[in-house]
Amino acid sequence: MNRDKAFPAVNETEPDVSVAITDTLDSNPALPMTDAAYLPGLAFDEMYIEGGSVRSHYAGVHTRLTTLSPEALADRQKTLERSFLLQGITFTVYGAEATTERIIPTDLVPRIIPAHEWKTIEEGLTQRLRALNMFLADIYGDQQILMDGIVPRELVLGAPSYRREMQHLYVPHKAYANVCGSDLIRDQDGAFAVLEDNLRVPSGVSYMLANRDAAKRTFPGTFRASNVRPVERYPDLLLATLKSMAAEWRPDPQVVVMTPGVYNSAYYEHAYLARLMGAPLVEGRDLVVHENMVYMRTTTGLRRVDVIYRRVDDDFIDPLTFRRDSSLGLPGLFNAYRAGNVVICNAPGTGVADDKAVYAYVPDIIRYYLGEDAILPNIETFLCREPVQLAHVLANLDKLVVKAVGASGGYGMLVGPHASRKERETFAEALKADPANYIAQPTIQLSTAPCLIDGRIEPRHVDLRPFILSGEKIVVTPGALTRVALRRGSLVVNSSQGGGSKDTWVLVDEDERRETRP
Amino acid sequence: MMLARVADSLYWIGRYVERAEHFSRLADVMLNATLDRSDAAAQTAYIALSAVGDPDMARVSLTYEAARSLVLNREDPNSVIMSLAHARENARQVRDQITTETWERLNLLFLKVTADSTGSEFESGSSAFLHDVIADLHLFKGAADATMSHGEGFRFLMLGVYLERAHLIARLLEVGFGDGRGKSVTDRLALMNLLRMACALEPYLRRYTAEIEPRYILEFLLFDEEFPRSIRFATARIEEYLVGVSRHVEVGGLATPERLAGRLKARLQFADVDELEATGASGLLTTVVNECARVHEAIYDTFVAYSLEMRLPA
Repeated sequence: MNRDKAFPAVNETEPDVSVAITDTLDSNPALPMTDAAYLPGLAFDEMYIEGGSVRSHYAGVHTRLTTLSPEALADRQKTLERSFLLQGITFTVYGAEATTERIIPTDLVPRIIPAHEWKTIEEGLTQRLRALNMFLADIYGDQQILMDGIVPRELVLGAPSYRREMQHLYVPHKAYANVCGSDLIRDQDGAFAVLEDNLRVPSGVSYMLANRDAAKRTFPGTFRASNVRPVERYPDLLLATLKSMAAEWRPDPQVVVMTPGVYNSAYYEHAYLARLMGAPLVEGRDLVVHENMVYMRTTTGLRRVDVIYRRVDDDFIDPLTFRRDSSLGLPGLFNAYRAGNVVICNAPGTGVADDKAVYAYVPDIIRYYLGEDAILPNIETFLCREPVQLAHVLANLDKLVVKAVGASGGYGMLVGPHASRKERETFAEALKADPANYIAQPTIQLSTAPCLIDGRIEPRHVDLRPFILSGEKIVVTPGALTRVALRRGSLVVNSSQGGGSKDTWVLVDEDERRETRP
Repeated sequence: MMLARVADSLYWIGRYVERAEHFSRLADVMLNATLDRSDAAAQTAYIALSAVGDPDMARVSLTYEAARSLVLNREDPNSVIMSLAHARENARQVRDQITTETWERLNLLFLKVTADSTGSEFESGSSAFLHDVIADLHLFKGAADATMSHGEGFRFLMLGVYLERAHLIARLLEVGFGDGRGKSVTDRLALMNLLRMACALEPYLRRYTAEIEPRYILEFLLFDEEFPRSIRFATARIEEYLVGVSRHVEVGGLATPERLAGRLKARLQFADVDELEATGASGLLTTVVNECARVHEAIYDTFVAYSLEMRLPA
């Protein structure tokens, strides 16, 4: 074929965008980001190697940040926030005067994870969730691991999140935790470790998807050039996971998302996932149990429900079985579940495997069931229930982070080095009064990543929450929610404690890409 | 097939947005009328406020406050701002059922009217403010029409719109021409304002020319087949959408709301303006208002709050 005669779609000129940007640079000497002004401190920085050079996978974003004017960055940040507000990605703040809606602070600078590091994370999380599902199947079955003395019996059976009702109950594929969001952090040397697992009703995945949507519009060129792996398949993979949990004889299972209602702080996410999966979003009052089957009230009568992706805590799903004062749940749901007529995802009682005290045993749990060493290490954890360890914790309160076992969301927590003497003393009293309720960990300097703060790019501490689905098989979505501690120096990333979030780019493996290309 | 609660919310979104649009228009027409120093201003305010609000406020000196209250009063559940808040709250509860394009129109409008600056914006230019609100509501309806599947959910939304519309227009005509209380409106400018309140002035002029007569107005707003704010048009849509949503209801015989809507449509089909002149319009208008309420109840009983015993699977 004669290529010379091809009908051209563009002419020869290549518009050089970088020239235009450099022009803006020259006219704007007050740049929001300069290498000299960016001070990562002691922690591992995601963008800079110690000594000041930029990590190769950050080159594209770094160039963009150092060439955009402060006005351009501020404009993009404003556009981003407006788009969140417009979409209704908000949480409600109930004040004395009026209720207002706010967006969760979102930072426009993406956090980047190179392919080889992601490979370790993916393998590590898959291994971990396989072991945790086996652990749950075991403790709700024959309890072999307790008999072998690997995990203390009273630690598991005495945990408030242990559900006796789940004992000897059939769970398809032994997949108890269908949706898991584990929190990873980097230590000072940059190695990833698991800080905690969330096996109950982990949230935040809508932010992963919304942040990605926004990032594509904020830095389209950089995004295209960076070869980022897509996260957009999460909703259909979630649906497939949920459907794989339905009984085989139900050919086209009806999946629903169950929400506590519009006043729940994660309501947006519930509606978002329901919409993207094409599944009805139901509340307890939309469901009816009749002869141990679950139905939803539709305009054309009652319709059978097969799988409930519930975003309601164990305690509130069925007032007949769990908390009697709950008005959110559905009376009789648990009996229908026990009868095998409906599947609840995640299974009730998964919380026992993400208990902060059980956490300390996860490496042993992995070794016990899989005969492998944990690919992703734990953070060193002191169990205050052990007198020797308690003494160590009390003597080193100024260096440790102490957490209440049952609490989450950054509540009931002491960050030793950042607390006053008085706070530490008060906490020590609580610790001595109920030592079994606490664990302690060394204060880890979470890694820092560049964030836009008051018009400048500054380092802020971040963690990483990837989402793992497990049904018939285990899938880790190549992306994550990166949570940011927006206050300078703060190590607490929880949104309830002033944390924000940003998009996470997992890069395509260049070697694999070359191999798979024709 | 959709969740009963969802159908209910969609229906209410329809009713609230239609109400917000109507109230905005009433406020706008009232405020415009006060610019002319004529009897028409008082009559206009009287019509608008008797139709939806407090007729005692219809004294000219209070017209501005009354109009402001129709739009911005947070204590009045029917005011524009509260209707939009209700519509948006319902939309939030069925966020998974409406398209993003539709949701964004409503959310944006809600954020606009509940912003701190709304009061001063209204004061500095009520006409521009109301014009924008009405235009934004048209965008909402347009986005729903252009992006949502015209299936069950859309039908419930439109049922809400047309039931509310039939009711509001019937109330307006009742106040203007019903012979029960007050006198019929005869002032030409007031009649024009009445047509404006029904968003009907321009289509009316094309149909009847500038001869503005109560008889023609009644004929146009009650019986016109093509004007989207006539009661005949609205009831025809109500029947059409009800037939659509009733198709899958698994109860024996003809569903009740459908039968009621058919009856109302037939009642309008066989009435004409000569008959109205002879007997007075109020009888028919009262029938319309009452039948709307009955259709509403029947929709609720059939699709939303039905008794479970009737619907348990065999």
